[in-house]
Amino acid sequence: MKPEPVRVGPAPAVVAAAALQACGGGASSGPGPVSGLTDAQAARFLAQAGFAATAADIAAVRASGYSGWLDQQFAAPLSQPHFDWMGDNGYAEFAHRFDFSGVDPSQWRKLIGSPDGLRQRVAFAWSEIFVVSMAGLPVTWRGMAAAAYLDVLEQRAFGSYRDLLEAVTLSCAMGVYLNMRGNQKGDAATGRVPDENYAREVMQLFSIGVNELQIDGSLKRVGGKPVETYSQADITELAKVLTGWEFDGVSATDPGFMRRPMVHIASRFAPGAKRVLTVDIAATLTGPAALKVVLDTLANHANVGPFIGRQLIQRLVCSSPSPAYVQRVATVFNNNGDGQRGDLKAVVRAVLLDSEARAIASGPAGGRLREPVQRFVQWARSFGLQSAGGLWNVGDLSNPATRLGQSPLRSPTVFNFFRPGYVPPNSELGANGVTAPEFQLCNESTVAGYLNYMQTVIASGVGDLKPDYSADLVLAGDAVALVDRYALLLSGDGLSAATKASIATAVGSIKIVSDANRLSRIQAAILLVMASPEYLIQK
Amino acid sequence: MHIGKLRSLQRREFLRRGSALGLAGVAAPWALNLSAIGEVAAATSPTDYKALVCIFLYGGNDYGNTVVPYDPDGYREYQKIRQSLATARDALAATALTSRAPALDGSAGRQMALAPQMGGLKALFDAGKMGVLLNVGTLVQPTTLAQYKAQSVPLPPKLFSHNDQQSVWQAANPEGATSGWGGRIGDQFLASNANASFSCINASGNAVFIAGQQAVQYQVSTAGAVAINGVTKTLFGSQTCSDALRALVTAPRSHWMEKELNRVAARSLSAQSIVSGALASQPPLATQFDTSNSLGMQLRIVAQLIAARQSLGVARQVFFVSLGGFDLHDFLPDQHPGLLEDLSAAMASFYDATRELGVSDQVTSFTASDFGRTLSSNGDGSDHGWGSHHFVMGGAVKGGRFWGKMPAVAVNGPDDVGQGRLLPSTSVDQLGATLASWMGVADSDLSRVVPQIGNYSQRDLGLFA
Repeated sequence: MKPEPVRVGPAPAVVAAAALQACGGGASSGPGPVSGLTDAQAARFLAQAGFAATAADIAAVRASGYSGWLDQQFAAPLSQPHFDWMGDNGYAEFAHRFDFSGVDPSQWRKLIGSPDGLRQRVAFAWSEIFVVSMAGLPVTWRGMAAAAYLDVLEQRAFGSYRDLLEAVTLSCAMGVYLNMRGNQKGDAATGRVPDENYAREVMQLFSIGVNELQIDGSLKRVGGKPVETYSQADITELAKVLTGWEFDGVSATDPGFMRRPMVHIASRFAPGAKRVLTVDIAATLTGPAALKVVLDTLANHANVGPFIGRQLIQRLVCSSPSPAYVQRVATVFNNNGDGQRGDLKAVVRAVLLDSEARAIASGPAGGRLREPVQRFVQWARSFGLQSAGGLWNVGDLSNPATRLGQSPLRSPTVFNFFRPGYVPPNSELGANGVTAPEFQLCNESTVAGYLNYMQTVIASGVGDLKPDYSADLVLAGDAVALVDRYALLLSGDGLSAATKASIATAVGSIKIVSDANRLSRIQAAILLVMASPEYLIQK
Repeated sequence: MHIGKLRSLQRREFLRRGSALGLAGVAAPWALNLSAIGEVAAATSPTDYKALVCIFLYGGNDYGNTVVPYDPDGYREYQKIRQSLATARDALAATALTSRAPALDGSAGRQMALAPQMGGLKALFDAGKMGVLLNVGTLVQPTTLAQYKAQSVPLPPKLFSHNDQQSVWQAANPEGATSGWGGRIGDQFLASNANASFSCINASGNAVFIAGQQAVQYQVSTAGAVAINGVTKTLFGSQTCSDALRALVTAPRSHWMEKELNRVAARSLSAQSIVSGALASQPPLATQFDTSNSLGMQLRIVAQLIAARQSLGVARQVFFVSLGGFDLHDFLPDQHPGLLEDLSAAMASFYDATRELGVSDQVTSFTASDFGRTLSSNGDGSDHGWGSHHFVMGGAVKGGRFWGKMPAVAVNGPDDVGQGRLLPSTSVDQLGATLASWMGVADSDLSRVVPQIGNYSQRDLGLFA
């Protein structure tokens, strides 16, 4: 496997120094010193390229410009791997071999607390494309399998697509989740046939999708009809190719094998020639060699750029990107400018720096509904939440009526919390065929559940994470300034003047007698900003 | 069926009014329900209530181990194909079914048993309140094996793909479809319901099945309607802030996503007060539901809402509930029995609840799923298939029997498109048309519910007495 491509950017040390200088000073207004960017532009960018915009983040973007800030983030060191943190915190103990203890805490630790916001955001996006879920890992050491999988996504978030696809394919967690682990050659005597699960989903969901695509993501048509990328026969053949894989050194006492790629057992490999997507795989090829042919075939398929590119745009920027935007991103996927295909760093850069991402969406279908997890993490990062006891015990936020209806690595199925092609029925979005994936989670229960949960955590925090609003108490006397501040940080100043005014009027109606009232103003301002549709639709 | 004519008139009137108000097309009913058509309530007799409940089994249920061949020959073939997946024959004795209709089409001598965990449904079958619809699945038109192999007739798009076949089952179109046949049945009765908002209720997540062209699905949690605390009470001690919150989340917006978001929130708020009040006005259900059974809890809230039908102002309702976890490529022998046990227990409790409420003849429930699975084993599970057997339950059902055509238990047999994937002999459209007719949709309107029904000569599967 190739090392990930390296791109030369501004010297990280200089950028970091500029960022440090800006730290603690709060965000200023007006054009930035180098980039010419405003606070609002920086905050809006940070909400796409990460989870939140603190004053320091805003200053860093203004100092370095978008591209420079991305370089800085690409170069940022990784925080402690999930797998190691689980071990250090007692979750790799024998007693936990049948539970997921530690996986939620370790995820919240990184989502809320890790400084590499871009990597966290993109890794979270990959977890929604290459889906593995704690709802389907019935295996010993399941928590460690999940932790190792999260590490794969995080460590390879900016590498090559081909490398990521292989690491996902051979991960123990995916092996269990989509059943490639233990998959065996057929047996004519018993009628047993190879398992088709991973064969189907690696094509449908992780690489090429079900229909042939133009480079701009639109359907290729022949005689007016879409062209399917693969047939049931391709799946049956690919299932044969994907036989023979097993954990590397199963142990009842040491979960270390869960972070190693699966290994191949030749005796379980389906014999004979195979043919997948018109590519012949000779009978003489070993299992690993046959897998390489298949992964190369998939990774080089013309669909991958538009198929994966469009989904990454949806996860970071907007629900219904223009075909031209998809094409620009797919073009970079196909060639990063240095002749490399599938350079994810270049693809992320193309998604975030595209003119369609940088311009505020003006049409009635622009932008995207912020995901519930994204909103919660944004709040936690914006107000500096840290786990006092290192427990990070936010827990599972899946309950739709009392929490967020979404929790990381807890999708109900491999089809993620929402589908890239979801069109909300009975709406103008539906009438106009606008895809809006996140609306699949939006219903009468979850809108209430979200507001109730946020009201609780804004007031009291969650687990051993407590908000500290003391720095904002000085602002609370001026409701207009307070609301302006939160509208900037949370929505990239995306709230209209009228909305800000109505929130400020309501917040200002809380009479100030003591700091308790100041706190109520702060809490009410945060909740009202985060309840407003202009915030919830990220543009 | 007096409601037929009445409803038809009402529907036209409803559409006319919607149009006059400039609201027709996109989800007008919510806006209209209380004001414009409120007077229709007087014409709706509460005794005329009917409800349809779709129980969706996400992931593709393994038909092979749900309804199992039990006669010696059939069982032998089943065991030969299923190998380690096969349920022991002895274990099936208590749930073996004796059909009231002697001759099953193409299956003389065939006896079937429910999975051993499905004692609840077995009792309902014996009582004539549940029957099994054989080998039903997505089709465009009647299709023979030869036609399938030659691809000489149109086939459903994206066969064997989960998300797409879920959508085709529910809506006759792949992912991205915006109305399903449950919702389109709801469309036909918007004017029959004083409060059209509660025509289509989902106790699971969002599902296209229950979205109509006009009817909007209302989502309810298993604990009932969720109040927005910051609106129903003060917000951080401030009534003014609470008022501001309500205004923010209900204000009309022009951006399509903001508009949709606020419409959902507005529905949440206005429905919550009605639903909570209606539920509170009912005595608690005496029927017990297992609180650890997620499907049971969904069906319990459905039963509670049915109990409150008069307060809710509804005469025709479509409900959607679901149970996930059926995509058992592995672990099938371990995990499938528990899922079937939950399914059977939840359905039996729900039937009991409808009896308690005196509406068992007015409520029909049916199962559905992405697809069936292969009969062949892949070692520890089965793979994506097509046709499958499904249950139809209710007091109005002519149960205790099998409907449709019994498929051969065979790989490479006359019904097999590969590894025991069944070519459906009955289409989802025929099932939809039969259920829609029972609900009171006029024959001439069936194509509004299931547009492809014209491709079939048999529009009524004879599920009802």
